[in-house]
Amino acid sequence: MRFRRNLLGSFLSFVVVVGVWQAIISFGHVAPYVAPTPLDAWRSIVENWSHLWPLTLTTVKETVFGFGAGAALGMGLGVLLSKRRFVQRVIYPILILSQAIPIIALAPPLVLVLGFGLTPKVVIVAWIVFFPVTVSVLDGLANVDRDLLMLARAYGASPWRTFLAIEVPSASASLFSGLKIGATYAVTGAIIGELAASSGSSLAMFQHAQSAQLDAAGVYGTTLIMTAVGMGWFSLVALVEFFTTPWKRRSIARRAGRHI
Amino acid sequence: MRLVSLSLYIERVELSPVLTLSNTEKTFGALPAVAPTSFSVERGSFVSIVGPSGCGKSTLFNMIAGLESPSGGSIELNGGDISGRTGHVGYMLQKDLLAPWRSVLGNITMGAHLTRGVTREDEERGAALARQYGLGEFLAHYPNALSGGMRQRVALMRTLMTDHELLLLDEPFGALDAQTRFEMQRWLLDVWHSTQRTVLFVTHDVDEAIFLSDRILVMSERPGRIVLDLTIDLPRPRRTAVLTDAAFMGAKREILSLLHHESGEQ
Repeated sequence: MRFRRNLLGSFLSFVVVVGVWQAIISFGHVAPYVAPTPLDAWRSIVENWSHLWPLTLTTVKETVFGFGAGAALGMGLGVLLSKRRFVQRVIYPILILSQAIPIIALAPPLVLVLGFGLTPKVVIVAWIVFFPVTVSVLDGLANVDRDLLMLARAYGASPWRTFLAIEVPSASASLFSGLKIGATYAVTGAIIGELAASSGSSLAMFQHAQSAQLDAAGVYGTTLIMTAVGMGWFSLVALVEFFTTPWKRRSIARRAGRHI
Repeated sequence: MRLVSLSLYIERVELSPVLTLSNTEKTFGALPAVAPTSFSVERGSFVSIVGPSGCGKSTLFNMIAGLESPSGGSIELNGGDISGRTGHVGYMLQKDLLAPWRSVLGNITMGAHLTRGVTREDEERGAALARQYGLGEFLAHYPNALSGGMRQRVALMRTLMTDHELLLLDEPFGALDAQTRFEMQRWLLDVWHSTQRTVLFVTHDVDEAIFLSDRILVMSERPGRIVLDLTIDLPRPRRTAVLTDAAFMGAKREILSLLHHESGEQ
C-alpha cells in the first residue's frame, strides 16, 4: 500500500516539474534557442537515441561501479574507524581533507594518472560516495543502544556475533541515509569525470557538442538523461532499503522465525 | 555404593543455595559503591532487593551477571566462582531492550542468536513458551506493534529461554502503569511457579517486593549494604487479598521505616 502511494507521489511530482517548466517557457515567452519546452527536449532524446543509448550505458556503468566501490570502501572505513579509536584520530582528518579538495580540481590530475578509460570516472564517483557512507556508518555504530550491547555481553556473546546481530541492524537506518546521499552524488561524479577526460565519447562530451551547436533542446534532453540515471540509481538504493527493513513499515513479519 | 553417593550429591545440590555472595564489594576508584555484602539465595526462591536510588543495586546485579568484577569477595553459583564471567545467569532490565528488527519469536530466541545460531528446536521451544504464557498470537509481530506490558513479557521469555537457573530481574516493571504492573506481577508469579526458576528481583516498590517475594533484602544508601533480611510468610499462590493482609502491612511498615530512617527523611 505504502509502496503504491509512493509511486503515485513520484508520478505527481513529475507532472508538477514538467508543468512548471512548460509554464515558464509559455508564459515567459522564452525563445526556443534559449530553452526548449519539455516536449522539444523529449523529441530531441528520441531523435538522438541511437547515439545517446551507448553513452548512457557508459555513464550508468561508471555510476554503478563507482558507487559500489565507494560504498564498500565507505562501509569498511566506517567499521574500522569506529572499532579503532586511534586509527580514527589519524584517518578522520585525512578523510575530511579528501572531501575539501574541489572534485572538479581533482578530476584532471586523476585523468592524467589513470588515463581516459572507465577507471578515472569510477575513482571520482567512489571518491564522492565513500564519505557520506563512512560518516553515516560511524554515526550509526556510535548510536547503538549501550544497554543492548551490555545485554549481549551478559548473554556471553562474542564481539563478532554482537556486531552481526546487534550493531549492523542497529546502524542500518543510518547507513541507508549515507548510501542515499552517495547515490544522488554518484552521477555528478561520473559526469565530472567525463568532462575532465574531455576526449572520447561520453554523455558529457555529447552535451558539450550540442551546446556548441546551440542545440538547446539537445542540451536539455541530455541533461534529462543524466538526471534520470541519478534518480534511477537513488530509487534502486531506496528500494533495497525498503525490502531489507520491513520492520519500519510493517507491524507483523512474514514469518515468525527462520524455521517456523 | 555409587547410587548412594549420587543421591547424596543430588541432595546436597538441592539443599545448597544457588547463589552465594561472600563479602562481595565494589569500589569505583576511591568511591565505594557496594560495601562488603554477604547473602545466599535458596534454590527456587523469589528474593527481592529494595533500597533507595543509587544504593548500588544495579552494580550488585552487574557483578552477579559478570559484567563487572567485584573489587573484593566472591560470587558463587552452584558452588562455582562466577565473578567476572558472563553467560551464567538470565538478566533482564527495566528497558525491554527488544531488537526492533526481529519478530517476537526472533527476540525470544535472541540468546541463541547471540551465542551459537538459532536452530529449529530453539524456535519450537520459544513458540511453545510464548503460547503457554499468552504471547501465542504475537509470534510474528515486530516489537513496535506491542504494548509496554507485552514487550516486557517478550523480554522475560527471552530471559527464560537461556535456561539459566537464576534470573536477575532489575526493575522489570518500573516503566509500566499501575494496572499493567499488577497484571504483570501476577503473570510473573505464574511463570516463576511453573518454570521452577530462582529469581533475584530489584525494585523501588515495597508493595511489589512483598507481593512477589519469599524474602526481601533491604539495602542502605551508597555504599550499599544489606540492613534487613526479611522473610515474607504469606501463603502462595498470592492473590489481591494479600495486599490488605496484616502480615503484609507489618512487613511494609518495617521496610518503610527502615528506608526512611536510612535516607534521613524521618
